[in-house]
Amino acid sequence: MKRLLLLLTALLCTGHGTFAAAKPPPQPTPPPEVTADSLVRVNSTNQSYDFFRPWTKKAPSVRRGLGVVVAEDLVLVTAELVTNRSYVELENATTNAKSAADVVSVDYDSNLALLRPADKEVLKGARPLALDDSARVGERVDLIQLESNSAVAQTPGTITTINVSPYPLGQLALLTYRISSPLQGRDGSFVIPAVKDGKLLGLLMRYDSRSQTADVVPSPVIAHFLADAKAEKYEGFPRVGLGFASTRDPQLRRFIGLQDDGGVYVTAVRPGSAGEKAGLKKGDVILSVAGKNIDQDGNYDDAAYGKIPFSHLTSTLASVGDKLDFVVFRDGQKQTIPVTLEAANPELVRSEPYIFDRAPRYYILGGLVFEELSRSYLQEWGSNWPKEAPQQLVALDAFQDEDTSREPGKIVFLSQVFPTGNTVGYENLQHLVVTKVNGVPIKSLDDLAKAAAKPEGGFHKIEFDDDPPFIFLDAAEAEKSDEQIRQEYGITELKNLN
Amino acid sequence: MFGRCFWVVCAFLLPLTCLEAAKVANSLVRIQVTSQEPNYRAPWGSGEVIGGVGAGFIIANNRIMTNAHVVSNGRFLLVSKEGDPKPYLARVLYVAHDCDLAILTVDEPKFFAGTSALEFGGIPAIETSVSVYGYPIGGDRLSVTQGIVSRIDFQPYSHSGVDSHLTIQIDAAINPGNSGGPVMQNGKVVGVAFQGYSGDVAQNVGYMIPTPVILRFLKDIEDGRYDKYVDLSVSYHPLHNPAMRRALGLTDDDRGVIVGDVYGKGNSDGHLLAGDVLLTIDDLPIASDGTVTIDNETVEMAEVVERKFRGDKVKFTVLRDGKEQEVTVPLNHPWPFTLQANAYDEKPRFVVFGGLVFQPVDANFMAEHAPDNLRLRYYFDHFISQHLYKDREEIITISSVLSDPVNAYAGDFRYDIVDKINGQPIRKLSDVAEALKKPADYYVIEVIGQNRPLVLEKQAVDQARERILTRYGVVNEQRL
Repeated sequence: MKRLLLLLTALLCTGHGTFAAAKPPPQPTPPPEVTADSLVRVNSTNQSYDFFRPWTKKAPSVRRGLGVVVAEDLVLVTAELVTNRSYVELENATTNAKSAADVVSVDYDSNLALLRPADKEVLKGARPLALDDSARVGERVDLIQLESNSAVAQTPGTITTINVSPYPLGQLALLTYRISSPLQGRDGSFVIPAVKDGKLLGLLMRYDSRSQTADVVPSPVIAHFLADAKAEKYEGFPRVGLGFASTRDPQLRRFIGLQDDGGVYVTAVRPGSAGEKAGLKKGDVILSVAGKNIDQDGNYDDAAYGKIPFSHLTSTLASVGDKLDFVVFRDGQKQTIPVTLEAANPELVRSEPYIFDRAPRYYILGGLVFEELSRSYLQEWGSNWPKEAPQQLVALDAFQDEDTSREPGKIVFLSQVFPTGNTVGYENLQHLVVTKVNGVPIKSLDDLAKAAAKPEGGFHKIEFDDDPPFIFLDAAEAEKSDEQIRQEYGITELKNLN
Repeated sequence: MFGRCFWVVCAFLLPLTCLEAAKVANSLVRIQVTSQEPNYRAPWGSGEVIGGVGAGFIIANNRIMTNAHVVSNGRFLLVSKEGDPKPYLARVLYVAHDCDLAILTVDEPKFFAGTSALEFGGIPAIETSVSVYGYPIGGDRLSVTQGIVSRIDFQPYSHSGVDSHLTIQIDAAINPGNSGGPVMQNGKVVGVAFQGYSGDVAQNVGYMIPTPVILRFLKDIEDGRYDKYVDLSVSYHPLHNPAMRRALGLTDDDRGVIVGDVYGKGNSDGHLLAGDVLLTIDDLPIASDGTVTIDNETVEMAEVVERKFRGDKVKFTVLRDGKEQEVTVPLNHPWPFTLQANAYDEKPRFVVFGGLVFQPVDANFMAEHAPDNLRLRYYFDHFISQHLYKDREEIITISSVLSDPVNAYAGDFRYDIVDKINGQPIRKLSDVAEALKKPADYYVIEVIGQNRPLVLEKQAVDQARERILTRYGVVNEQRL
């Protein structure tokens, strides 16, 4: 569009040339082309763990994408490309030189990962791309793919929407560019860079071929990630830990005596979060954040993108450790509450939203297999897991933030039973949440391992928050059956507490 | 004895069947039902009227026996006899939804003239032949099919969805219209045909209600009232594991089951405890798989309670804290949690306020609304097992929002569970009606989980009231 406009101007100028001959037309500088020098093929062989059989990995699968060189020896890809990686390989697009690569940083909230080749030769002569910071709705961009002969294939697209939306892997909603573009399937298209004027605009994270829309991790999120990756300790994207609802309902506004036009109603403050530490409470109405007024839906007016949710201020534009002022309306009064932003604290999470790149924890005691609840475990039931997985566990995962009564810790449950002489009568027990073992309260598998070392009167007593309320195991027999499980079921490791 | 009986039946199979058909035709009735299904989406409405056909048979004292599901939600019943063109008006005397049986009568005395009442037999032996009579799809006239007794077992009764009783499986097809018809052997009724599988699931699997269940029903109504089954309201588990047995102080004698849960408000509440080992029931030793032996038959322990009536008692020997003791459980009421059972002959209960429709969540509601809401499904499914009944008698939800300016922003609250209204805890539907009756400037509705309060201004509700009732055809605002 822009180029066309320039061309037209040039033509008009020449047209008028005869009348105004003195001025030569300005030479339009063509935007720098993105060449194969800035791109590198990335092949990642991934193997996810089997949460039903946490001692095994599933069959490997290969994902191919196009990484972007962002520094002399650093390549940016989406985290999804290298999730549960066993081996990552870089391939120079022109020389076809290959090298293994290490993952320097990976962030599943922002869906980004940074790779560094073991052999720097593979990036020799590479031209790092700078980040774009000028994208606006309606502008033309290009999506970059490589043909098999390494020719750069550019598919034009238009930014139709810029908003904050949930990311595929983590729990955060972050800035997203939605681009309308008729992409073709090409080899190595798991990651597709989007560029504008020769700069990196973002990385494609999902594409819907029916509506021909691509969602892109945009440059502001990439900038945050790259800055964090440079720091000594990777902090990641901060979060306040709030749930909120719109205050559009005038009856609600009058009931709480809200005079201002905007504001959102705080419905939940996650226990232990930055918001709770700062003193935010359920029922507060957030009127402004970091000096920006918040409207009835939780949006602020961004200079570049217009109305977008205020979490862009707290998660992407700010960093861990920053202090942001929240002005809240509480009990008829306005007050300013400074919130010091924090990273997600996995200790506070009772059921982890994802477990990638590491084996699930488990503990086998006399044929009983215990695991800690996580979303990844539930997702083993397939795409319809919220309905297919055991509802008791789905509810514990979904409503974990509402549980303020219990101390932090994990949810330990009996996931399955190996039929052995020791477990006769227990074969059908599964998905039972463990409360105590040998009288000791269980808040993690480590607790369980410790408790299992101290049987009482020759028995292990395992208590459940369910029906049956408890079972017993013979402690001496349990030890013997360990060997049987190793031999007959071929499980070499009877625990993983790492 | 078993073998001889079998051969005798075989030898007389053909002539006997012919004789039976002639006799049964004298006792068989075709039941035409006009019923009205309540509408749980517009609970103030009258519901859809549908017609159906079932079978029934005449028993002693001018009564007709059929299935409860044949006459459920019935508004108008017509019965006709074989060889009599006239349809007669019938009415329901007793209906037992928990065992899918009903008793009808016809007031016109002429109806029973020339009919003969069928008598009941016992439990037919496995592998013996039986005949099923009824009016299944495929034609209008009497149909007879024959099958053999395949299995005698405890099975769920799909009419209520929550009850299990003794059931006999036969390999004769049981199709719609067979329901309520007699299953005959040696000239006597040995069961009432009541359910089967569709051909997609299994072939030639039909079920009949056996005579112990039928006779219990007839005995229960002798006092003029159906009291339902009584229930222990406990869960129990087999005790097979050797370590478990030793830890509980049991010997290796394969006796005893362990109580897993005692449901609040049930008959055993306050008498049995979770962790109790049940050793005997009414002096019958309980095997470690939960069975007892009655009359040389091995049956589920529950069968002992099945045969009892309201007001009876059941005696256990219990091992508790290592000591044996006697515990007597009075059987004063049926299973206390009706919300998970399909309900019939009941109108849906609701409250409409400011266009919000409040309804209690039960099996009928869930079947009609099939909400995706995880919390609502969880509360319904786990109401008993997770003891959610301790906090509330009923689960009250906002089932729909009749759109109006007064509730323009209430759409997000659909299928949320109501916890409080103006600070008053909501534990049953009548709490909603009461809380909304109290004068207030604002009605503040709090729901379970992380949502804002839903606020309605009294003035706005009052102004909207007539408008909403008229626009949506809400003929009454509540049914409690």
